[in-house]
Amino acid sequence: MVSPILLIAVPLALAFLTPMVGLASKSARRYMPAIAMLFNFIVAMSLLPKALEAPIIVRTAGWAPPLSIHLVAGPLGLLLSSLVALIGLLVAIYGIDYIREGARARYDVLYTLLLVGATGVVLTGDLFNLFVFFEVLCISSYALVAYRGDSAGVEAGMKYLIQGAIGSSLVLIGIGLLYGTVGTLSMADIASSVGSVAGSRLFISLAFMIAGFGVEAAIFPLNAWLPDAHSSAPSSISAVLSGVAIKAGLYAIARVVYTVYGASSILPFLAVLGVVTLLVGEMCAFAQEDIKRLLAFSSIGQMGLILFALALSSATGISGAVFLIISHGLAKALLFLATGYMIYRTGSRDISSLAGMGKRMPIMSLCFTVGAFSLMGLPPFVGFASKFTIVRAVLGTGSTFFITLLAIGLIGTVIEGAYFLRIVQWLYFKPAPEAMPEQTEGRAPLTALVPVGLLAVLIVTIGLLPGIVGRALGPAADDLLDRAAYIQHVMGD
Amino acid sequence: MSAQGILITAFAGAGLSYALGLTSARLREVFAIVVSVLLVCLIAITHGQGAEHVYYPDFLGLDLVLRMDALAWFFAITVSMVGCLSVIFSLHYVRGKEKENFYYFALLLVNAAMLGIVLSGDLLSFFIFWEIMSWAAFLLISYKRGRALDAGLKYVIMSILGSCAMLLALLYLYANYNTLVISDLAQQIRSAAGGFPLWVMLAFALGFGIKCALIPLHTWLPDAHSEAPSPFSAVLSGILIKMGIYGFILVMYGVVGLKLLLEVGAPWLHFHTVLCWLGAITILIPTFIALLQDDAKRLLAWSSIGQIGYIMLAIGVATSLGLAGALFHTLNHAVFKALLFLAVGAVEYKTGGVRDLNRLGGLIRRMPVTFACALIGGLGLIGVPLTSGFVSKWLIYKTLITEGHPFLALAALVGTWGAILYVYKLLHNMFLGQLPEKYANLEAAPFSMQLPLMICGFIIVLFGILPGIPLSVIGGIVGTLGFEPVTATLTGFGPQIGPLNTLNLCAAFAGVLLVIVAFRGIAARPKPVSQDDSYAAGAAAPAGKYHHTVRFYDPLERMTGGYLRDWVDQFYLSAAGKAKGVFNGVRRIYTGDVRTYVMYIVALLTFLIFAHTAGWL
Repeated sequence: MVSPILLIAVPLALAFLTPMVGLASKSARRYMPAIAMLFNFIVAMSLLPKALEAPIIVRTAGWAPPLSIHLVAGPLGLLLSSLVALIGLLVAIYGIDYIREGARARYDVLYTLLLVGATGVVLTGDLFNLFVFFEVLCISSYALVAYRGDSAGVEAGMKYLIQGAIGSSLVLIGIGLLYGTVGTLSMADIASSVGSVAGSRLFISLAFMIAGFGVEAAIFPLNAWLPDAHSSAPSSISAVLSGVAIKAGLYAIARVVYTVYGASSILPFLAVLGVVTLLVGEMCAFAQEDIKRLLAFSSIGQMGLILFALALSSATGISGAVFLIISHGLAKALLFLATGYMIYRTGSRDISSLAGMGKRMPIMSLCFTVGAFSLMGLPPFVGFASKFTIVRAVLGTGSTFFITLLAIGLIGTVIEGAYFLRIVQWLYFKPAPEAMPEQTEGRAPLTALVPVGLLAVLIVTIGLLPGIVGRALGPAADDLLDRAAYIQHVMGD
Repeated sequence: MSAQGILITAFAGAGLSYALGLTSARLREVFAIVVSVLLVCLIAITHGQGAEHVYYPDFLGLDLVLRMDALAWFFAITVSMVGCLSVIFSLHYVRGKEKENFYYFALLLVNAAMLGIVLSGDLLSFFIFWEIMSWAAFLLISYKRGRALDAGLKYVIMSILGSCAMLLALLYLYANYNTLVISDLAQQIRSAAGGFPLWVMLAFALGFGIKCALIPLHTWLPDAHSEAPSPFSAVLSGILIKMGIYGFILVMYGVVGLKLLLEVGAPWLHFHTVLCWLGAITILIPTFIALLQDDAKRLLAWSSIGQIGYIMLAIGVATSLGLAGALFHTLNHAVFKALLFLAVGAVEYKTGGVRDLNRLGGLIRRMPVTFACALIGGLGLIGVPLTSGFVSKWLIYKTLITEGHPFLALAALVGTWGAILYVYKLLHNMFLGQLPEKYANLEAAPFSMQLPLMICGFIIVLFGILPGIPLSVIGGIVGTLGFEPVTATLTGFGPQIGPLNTLNLCAAFAGVLLVIVAFRGIAARPKPVSQDDSYAAGAAAPAGKYHHTVRFYDPLERMTGGYLRDWVDQFYLSAAGKAKGVFNGVRRIYTGDVRTYVMYIVALLTFLIFAHTAGWL
């Protein structure tokens, strides 16, 4: 049987092999990220059925937890690492031809490292390793944001670096405080002993971690780096940043709050924060004229909804949140990828430059529309299934507090509908300008059409047959909610 | 043929028509018509069947159910009929325009989604098909570009708002009863008490009210109906807004049930009474606004809102006659409003897109068939005896009077007077008077445009003379919804409901006709004079100048115009403007200065720790 550790070890090795492959053949090098992610996807999917029954615990160097560094490949971790690998694979295929200039070798290495970091975050069972993988993820993304080397990119990367570094240091302080209190770093071990510690010291370390991870998770008001970073990066990077990277931050918060601390008292606050994030994101997206900034703000909005659903603390709510992580990942990756070649074609990121795109790039436009409809939560696309699950969970709690928050949050959905459908109108119902700089290199090659098309097909298929992922959602929610089972699985008997 | 087969045909038809259109335009047109006609036939033969079956087990843990019953059949046949006619009309209307493939796909998809709505046996399927209908309709409304884009956005934003309310309502039901299957809900909700049914009904009313353009939720309709392509305006006005009516009937009588419904609301103000009064307002204001319109399609759009008022009023009365009247009027309005929109569409098509009533006239000589059909449609809208509109309005008046609602009855009557005025304005300004010279050589509309008109006209007269045909179906539906069934004879009603016999009306009509013919025979032969003579009394006059239709009801306009601005629309627009201002303000949170951002991070951390020490968290 394959071990989940391969999910981290193999792509990590491949990432560092990439420059050496590049010495032998430059064209072979650009396929390396795709190969690494294909491997990850196959392994993660093959492990998933087993993990749905019980988490797979990997102990390194023969030590048993809590002493060892260990991986906990539970349903949630494997589901998310499958998602990371899937999106990573499709974006890597897209990147083969999309990335044309700049330091290509570094792109391939950093791209793979970013995804290794994300995979590590969702699989680790150890708080310090969580931090390490988180740093791998963040540092690769700082560099990738500035990949183009133009002033906007460098500025965005710099700002991201400053805020991200502050966030990381807060996390580190939080972990340090916690370690000083309980004397262990294994999440399961902390979870089992955290109940006996007095409140205040514990809470302060939690506050540090929430504020720290919140930066990467794009929670309001910690998300100011995101619009610049996501819009300045090349589209393939934006796709993984929005589709994968920010989810890792949110996963870290959920894992820390639910499993490590079992801190249910902070959940209502997180729910409020989620709704505020949702509204602020959607409001800012509404007036954007820059398509990539718009998509970035829309990501903030969706993250808010996910955070809100995570804070419901019910099995349906967390299933809905995980489902939305999946559906938003697919849709937002699709949107950024489709936008990438549209921008190549017109040379502008202005929404008005998309006029008449339905005729000039029919497949990209159609896929873009599918992605936009899915994000809005229209049936029969996957976004509907996930948003429906969340709304059902909220009403299932029967709490006036959550229902009121939801009703406020639904305003965000209306705003979202307004700006996305306006773009759809630009694509299809506005005439293309007469004299158009027709850039032939803007034509989307097969390596772009296939991933974008596949994402659209996935969105429709899962939308029609939500049972495909539905089976894994329940166990994934239990993975977070059921602390006792988590502790028992990791610590053994 | 089961409901499932019908839906598969409808949705597959929409998809295939797109695929076929890629190979041949002609093939697609034939296919679209075949599918539409086939759907009418398939639904027709399921008449009288009742079935309920699960077609998608375990969708997100819920079983999706389809059902066929009398109410569903009635709406399904109306939807498929009007849908079919609009597809036939579209043949020439969109030929040679761009995005034909998309047009047929979206039109068939809207029709399929509406069939899905009425055949749904559970509220989740209902909602899913509802949403598909909403976005497909949005795409079609935007089809003509220009101002249509704003109309489309306005429609879809209101529509999403309504959908959110509906979603909350249906999941509120689910949270309480753990099922969304309509028949199960109807069983379980009987024991409900307190404010629960009221909240559910209010949220549903928001969703349905927006779709059927109940005042004050109507503001999307005039823009959307006038900017959409005409065959789709017929669908929008004829059946799409009726989905809101279907929703109201389904939730009020199919789910909540008559007994509970009569108790919903405060003791001194019941939910259904409020609905009645909203219906009355929805009759009055839009009727007078319609009078002042110069755009033929806008006039019809406002008239649609007014007619929805009749239906809502009749539903709200909550009597068996009222519901029968509402259902019958739904059918009638679908037919005659489709006819009128298509007739305007035919004129628009031939004149190259003119729908300004001040620039048309005299078309009766060039388009006699269109005029004859439009006349029948107009008479049906007014509710002249021997048209179907008469019978449905008769039922509504009858129940209002017997139940003792004189003010509501008066509102309905005033609405009819207004209808006479605006129908006259519409028909006169398009077809009567002097023919502008540029239209002197206009040809009649092609047969594929006249055929739907003639079918609609035939239905209006047929159901006007033999109202027993639709009433036999409607009477049964009323019976299944917890009322006393309405029994009608083929030509009217028996004495237990009230004396209405269309045979007598026919006889009276024939008598009057005879008198006129006889009078004309006895009187002196009329002497034909040139048209200019009758206008200018023999004086020399330049041709083409004496057809005054501008400012048609000028004194009335001066009297009422000040009051009849669409206050609600202005309110929404200013609210939207304010919201945009707020959004722009919110954007300033992101100053672009990284020092501020760092401060935000520190502020959140400080707040968390402070909140903990203060004991909030």
